[in-house]
Amino acid sequence: MSIVIVDARGWQNTLDLMTGEKVQAAGSVVEMVKGVLQKHPYPGDMDPGSNRWVSDTALDLIDSYDPRFVFLTYAAQYFSGRYTPMTKETRAGMILDTFLEAERFMNTSGFAAIVVGTGDTTPLLGFVDVTGLDGLAVCTHWSARYAGLYGPSPEDMKFLREHPHIEKIVSREEVVGLFNGTPEQTPEVPEYLMLAHEGYAFKTINNAMKTPARITSLNFNVPLFAPGHIVGDITGIRRVLEEDLSEKNVALIVLEGVGLDDFLWPHLSCRNGTQWYYYEPGESQYLTITTGEHRFLDYPTGSGYKYFDKKERTRDYPFSGMFKSIPEGTLASKFPGKSIAVGNKSMFMHMVAGTDLSVECFSRNLHNQGTMAVIHREDKQL
Amino acid sequence: MRCSYCERRCEITEGKTGVCRMYTVSEGIIKERFPHRWSSCGASRLEAVPFYHAYPGSRCLAIGTTSCNFRCQYCSNAFIAKEDPEIQQDLLYQLTPHKLVSMAQKLNCRSIIFNVNEPTVSLPSLLDVAQEAKAAAIPMGCLTNGYMTVESTELLASIFSFFNVSLKGLSSHFNKKYVGIESCKPVLRNIRRLAGDRHVEVTTPIIQGTNDCEIDTIADFLTGVDPEIPWHVFRLLPEDEMMGTEYPNIQAIDAALQSARKKLPYIYFHNFVGSEWVNTHCPACGSVVIERFSLGCGGDKLNMLRCEDNRCPDCGQKIKVLNEKTPFGNKGV
Repeated sequence: MSIVIVDARGWQNTLDLMTGEKVQAAGSVVEMVKGVLQKHPYPGDMDPGSNRWVSDTALDLIDSYDPRFVFLTYAAQYFSGRYTPMTKETRAGMILDTFLEAERFMNTSGFAAIVVGTGDTTPLLGFVDVTGLDGLAVCTHWSARYAGLYGPSPEDMKFLREHPHIEKIVSREEVVGLFNGTPEQTPEVPEYLMLAHEGYAFKTINNAMKTPARITSLNFNVPLFAPGHIVGDITGIRRVLEEDLSEKNVALIVLEGVGLDDFLWPHLSCRNGTQWYYYEPGESQYLTITTGEHRFLDYPTGSGYKYFDKKERTRDYPFSGMFKSIPEGTLASKFPGKSIAVGNKSMFMHMVAGTDLSVECFSRNLHNQGTMAVIHREDKQL
Repeated sequence: MRCSYCERRCEITEGKTGVCRMYTVSEGIIKERFPHRWSSCGASRLEAVPFYHAYPGSRCLAIGTTSCNFRCQYCSNAFIAKEDPEIQQDLLYQLTPHKLVSMAQKLNCRSIIFNVNEPTVSLPSLLDVAQEAKAAAIPMGCLTNGYMTVESTELLASIFSFFNVSLKGLSSHFNKKYVGIESCKPVLRNIRRLAGDRHVEVTTPIIQGTNDCEIDTIADFLTGVDPEIPWHVFRLLPEDEMMGTEYPNIQAIDAALQSARKKLPYIYFHNFVGSEWVNTHCPACGSVVIERFSLGCGGDKLNMLRCEDNRCPDCGQKIKVLNEKTPFGNKGV
């Protein structure tokens, strides 16, 4: 059983990750993780100390648990840049701080690091308003490039095909074919996937009113710092991690909202998708990195999945967004050594990392509620 | 002339606005400035709004406009409620009542809920939506701060069949300092009125050291209105102008609720992840009749409904729930 410990600031509760039911859990690992959560309250997504929280929490876990593999995500620069208009200089300073934080972690921990940026961001030029269609357009407000389209009328299709800021409309069959999807995965994909030009985001129902200052760029390629390795695609990162882990302690560090233009260390340019599709930052991009294979169809939510259209398939994994099972094939889940993950992106590290322990911020739409830890296994004793 | 939508009763001159900035005077009458402009329109669960005793587990179309007649220091939607509505107009959805209702149908929503800001600031538009919604047999509900005039309360009662009224605090000091109004008396009056023939739930955000001392008095008031009124006690999330203040202590608030729980069987303590106080217990035998799960901050969901016929399956006690089995627009029991 995987255990989740929520820390809502001064109050902790221990539950079964799968059912969400309260459980009694004890043991050295549980007590250690509770102590780490208590010691490191999350400062908030937009707080300048947010990335420092990632490093400090990870360093404490390393001290107590002695892992060989560490998975970190630094996301403060992504959240701040998304909503706060800033000068080029301020933004450059913020990116520099992120690299300095990663460097501090590496120097303090002694871990060798593989560092990947999830991609550049670009100023928002405008919205593609698709709220007036006869059919239904769906996307999350975190997505810019993609929106799902359902039941369009011929007039809708004419309007969309002639829209100056829509680059392409792809059928469900083409999307499923691109990722060699199974019949079971097909209904999860929208009838059509719409692609916006760079700088534009779809405006659909369910969008938050907070207008982003920056959105994701067309990141067909993302930067990778992997000294001594040649990697051409994000699916190749896992192999590099496995090679390095055979001889040393390794940290995979993901820098959110950092792309080829902003990456400050020597880097490779890695393909971030396939053919016309590239990953926006999120669950499927992380899963692709940690499993070494394209996993778009495992988590198509960001790309217009009509998640609210049917009764929930299961109530399982209430802390894990749209995940209804623990993804298979992640690097850490197969790794025999101890592993941890810490991140301030969202509540999905425990699903995409597959590490023994994970600690993540618990923020919903930037509302800071505290932190959450997941213990997938505690048989690798302290 | 004087605006009579809310109890501020702002004096508005031709072309000018009152506190909420959503109404103006044009040709001698009070007019809505931005009709049918919506800041939000999306599918949500009723439990997330929160409504715990209305249409359990169903989906709703959650809508909102802009601005508010309150100035709460801890507003979690300040970017919508406190900003000048005029400068937000380009960002809004422009949806006719027909389009809104058809959107609700497209999204398989059981109801339409106004839940982002205060409905009193957009009453004429909501009256239009209500007409379309009633024709489509879609009930409407809302969150409100309850600070509307007697006339507006009747209008709201004609639009909405279920309400979650925010009773933020009782003392004048609290209301002046944290909410920006002189007194909560109109709110109390309107809760009594609405609870008379509408489904009403009440929410109180607790700021430790400020209004937690009023828990028992609020419980006494609610008991006097209807002992079966569901009461959501929210742990305040320190945001907006209160960013940086302490998070209220969960154990202390839970302890402070002990005596209130003896008066009101449907008390919930949530707005934080993993809350243990979100289930509905049968007032007679104590069995769990509705089981929920809370992710906090609008992330609550139904886990299990054991009283589909509005009765406790263990002892047969009636459970107050508004659903398809209760007459449209009437109270749950």
